Amino acid sequence: MAAVDWYLALAVALFCIGAFGVLSRRNVIAVIMSLEIMLNAVNIALVAFANFVPAGAGKGTYFVLFVITLAAAEVTVGLAIAVANYRLRRTVQVDEFSELKG
Amino acid sequence: MTGGIWYWLLFAICAAWVLLTGIGVVALKNIVHAAISMVLCFFGVAFIYVLLNAELVAIIQILIYVGAISVVILFAIMLTDQLRGRLRLFFNQQSVFALPLVVAVAVVLTWILVTADLPGATSKSQNLTLAALANGLFNRYVFPFELVSLVLLAAMIGAILLTRRED
Amino acid sequence: METGLTDVTQTMKVVVSLIPLLPLAGFLFTLLLGKRFMGKRADVLSLAMVTASWVLSMYVVAHVWGHRHEAIDFDLFTWVRAGSFVVKWGYLVDTLTAVMLVVVSTIGMLVHYYSIGYMKNDEGYYRFFAYLNLFMFSMFILILANNYLLVFLAWEAVGLCSYLLIAFWFRKKSASQAGKKAFLVNRVGDFGFTLGLFLIFTTFGTLQFSGVFGKAALGQVGGGTMTAICLLLFAGAVGKSAQFPLHVWLPDAMEGPTPVSALIHAATMVNAGVYMVARSYPLFIHSHTAMLVVMIIGTFTAIYAALIALTQHDIKRVIAYSTISSLGFMFMALGAGAWVAGVFYLLAHGFFKGLLFLDSGSVIHGMSGEQDMRHMGGLRKKMPLTFWTMLVGALAMAGIPPLAGFWAKDEILGGAFVRGYYVVWVVGIAVAFVTAIYMFRLIFLTFWGENRASQEVQGHIHESARVMTVPLVILAIPAALVGVVAGWGPEHGLIHRFLEPVFYDLGSEKFAWAGEGGLLMLVSAIVVALGVYVAYVMYVRRTELPARAAERFPWAYKASFNKFNMDEVYEAVVIRPTIALADWLWTFVDTVIVDGTVNGIAWLWGVLGRALRPWQTGRAQNYALGVFAGLLVLVVMVRIFWGG
Repeated sequence: MAAVDWYLALAVALFCIGAFGVLSRRNVIAVIMSLEIMLNAVNIALVAFANFVPAGAGKGTYFVLFVITLAAAEVTVGLAIAVANYRLRRTVQVDEFSELKG
Repeated sequence: MTGGIWYWLLFAICAAWVLLTGIGVVALKNIVHAAISMVLCFFGVAFIYVLLNAELVAIIQILIYVGAISVVILFAIMLTDQLRGRLRLFFNQQSVFALPLVVAVAVVLTWILVTADLPGATSKSQNLTLAALANGLFNRYVFPFELVSLVLLAAMIGAILLTRRED
Repeated sequence: METGLTDVTQTMKVVVSLIPLLPLAGFLFTLLLGKRFMGKRADVLSLAMVTASWVLSMYVVAHVWGHRHEAIDFDLFTWVRAGSFVVKWGYLVDTLTAVMLVVVSTIGMLVHYYSIGYMKNDEGYYRFFAYLNLFMFSMFILILANNYLLVFLAWEAVGLCSYLLIAFWFRKKSASQAGKKAFLVNRVGDFGFTLGLFLIFTTFGTLQFSGVFGKAALGQVGGGTMTAICLLLFAGAVGKSAQFPLHVWLPDAMEGPTPVSALIHAATMVNAGVYMVARSYPLFIHSHTAMLVVMIIGTFTAIYAALIALTQHDIKRVIAYSTISSLGFMFMALGAGAWVAGVFYLLAHGFFKGLLFLDSGSVIHGMSGEQDMRHMGGLRKKMPLTFWTMLVGALAMAGIPPLAGFWAKDEILGGAFVRGYYVVWVVGIAVAFVTAIYMFRLIFLTFWGENRASQEVQGHIHESARVMTVPLVILAIPAALVGVVAGWGPEHGLIHRFLEPVFYDLGSEKFAWAGEGGLLMLVSAIVVALGVYVAYVMYVRRTELPARAAERFPWAYKASFNKFNMDEVYEAVVIRPTIALADWLWTFVDTVIVDGTVNGIAWLWGVLGRALRPWQTGRAQNYALGVFAGLLVLVVMVRIFWGG
């Protein structure tokens, strides 16, 4: 296994941990947090590529910068929605957001 | 820093930290505990970046993730009044299916990536210097750079609009 | 010598074309305008048209008389054009046509006049005359047509008119049923006719008489094919001319007004079958088998119907079964090879049968609508004209010399004997005997003895109006004399020479008066006289005899009275199974299969919908699980197909 593979393995593991959280947690904020974990995992992979593979030398880094920025924006909006929803429905249980059922 | 036993030992420690705190985010019942675990995970990821010769990214990670995102999340937790962490079944019904799926994906993906042929992969660091990075960012990639600022603006406005109390 | 064609003059073409056209116009105008504009005089136009047609027909007959070896054959316009299949609307007038024209136009006209009296005060007065005219149009086309398809069109048209007129009093259930029965039973025969048409076309390549008969004469068509064609055409004749087993509609057709019975079911329409077979003479002479079949069916029908007529109570039914028997007699003649004799009988029969029906109508009219002979009697004093004319008709029918029926009947019987069909001759003699009995039974029951009707009816008995009795007298004359006039000198009489161009190859056997021919005639005369005497004894002298005979032979009486249960046979063999099949198709095929399929498809979608709906939980996490699973699939696929 090359050096890069170790980092990739780490990234995949972290990604899947985050995915499990997204799919399983009941609290919507916990879901958002798990989502951040997933994004971080992707960033690790990108930076690993940037470091070890010539083709991705600079591009990996730039990509990561943008990902981080956009993650921030996304979290903001997501949480704003969660808070607004809480004010309306008094709950943060994901199970109960099922108006689009059927 | 490349190769070397100390390098890989450091890597192992950081990897373990990241993974454990990551599991913490997913598995901790109390949401505040989960949030703290997330913050610690961010720190660990910053260390990984340093190991990968990406100091700029590491600094930005701490500044934004730890400094801003974590704070916003904590604010949100506070606003949604879940501090007491009620006693409830906190994994939903589909976790039964999610777990094996996630494990499968992990295994498959790892195998694919590890057996993939990455041309020119070395153990030598290829990363760019700060100067070169800055140069690229403000010359070649200035357009997405500006666009991202617009996105941030939109996100800010959106968040304010969404959470405004109608008085 | 066969007929040849001449240049047809314009005059002739116009005259011939007008014959059917005038009644058609009469029909249209009377039907459309009759109710509102013509009131009680709705008959005027149709009478005028039919009289004009008679005049023109006589003109044509006179012309043919002078040019009997020259047939008139011309086309008016192209009727059907479908690729290479072309059929024209055209007319053929030869001596056979002339004979038919005499019968159809004369009796048609007389019936129209008779109907003025008979249908007086009927609310459908204008409709009746309109339909009568339509019928005349159709019948004229039938006998004038120069190709099989046009004959078929007219064939169906007269069937339609028959239906319309039988069910004329359509509010009466039995009448409308009878009309339907007539039409449907006819249809069965028509099916055979249609198949025959197809076969003719595929064999000869044309439906024109000139073309078909020309090719047939060359003798190149195989015997089997020719037999098939003839039998199929005959099937149509069996339906139209009410032969066994498609005779069941004719007795029920008596539901129609009596003028209708006289015109359509005695003198004209039912003769269409005989005419068609006679016209197809060039085809039939090439098929001995077909002629045999025609003869056998005709003979059987003749005796069958005669036996039934013996016990019927309704005066019109007796005459109806008599018609069936007479038609059988005609087919017997044609099948045995006595073609001219058969046509001769057709001519005579038209007159005396039409006369008998109109007479019975007069009787019914006088008896205030009573048709059951058991309630009649002694009418000869109060309805003398009717009595004498009916007597003439009965004598002609029974075949008493020197009236019409005798000469024609005898030529048929003699013709059969001379050609070696001895069994047929015996059956024919039996038919003559039975015919004499039932005919005079009718006469004696109706006109002799004490009247057996109610007091009220008896008070109303009167001779019919002039407009009805005049046609009766007029008809009685040819009924009496046409035999002598046309048929004197068997095989060499007027009619034989007249029809010779049409029936050109009658073979060498001739029926002559001298020798054995004379003996045969004597025998038949004696038999007929015997029949009259038997009827006299049973119904005048010792009136208790019929009842005693019925007691002695109950099975014979029942069989005859119930028409040998033919309708019941049809009910069991045809009608019940068809209804059962329809029922099964409804309850099983339609309800289970068709509805089941349609409902099943709907049910299937319902099931699918209900199965899939739980997937739409509305929860994003569930959808995310799906996305993630898809990711796994995609990744694996990329690895497999892109590798590396």
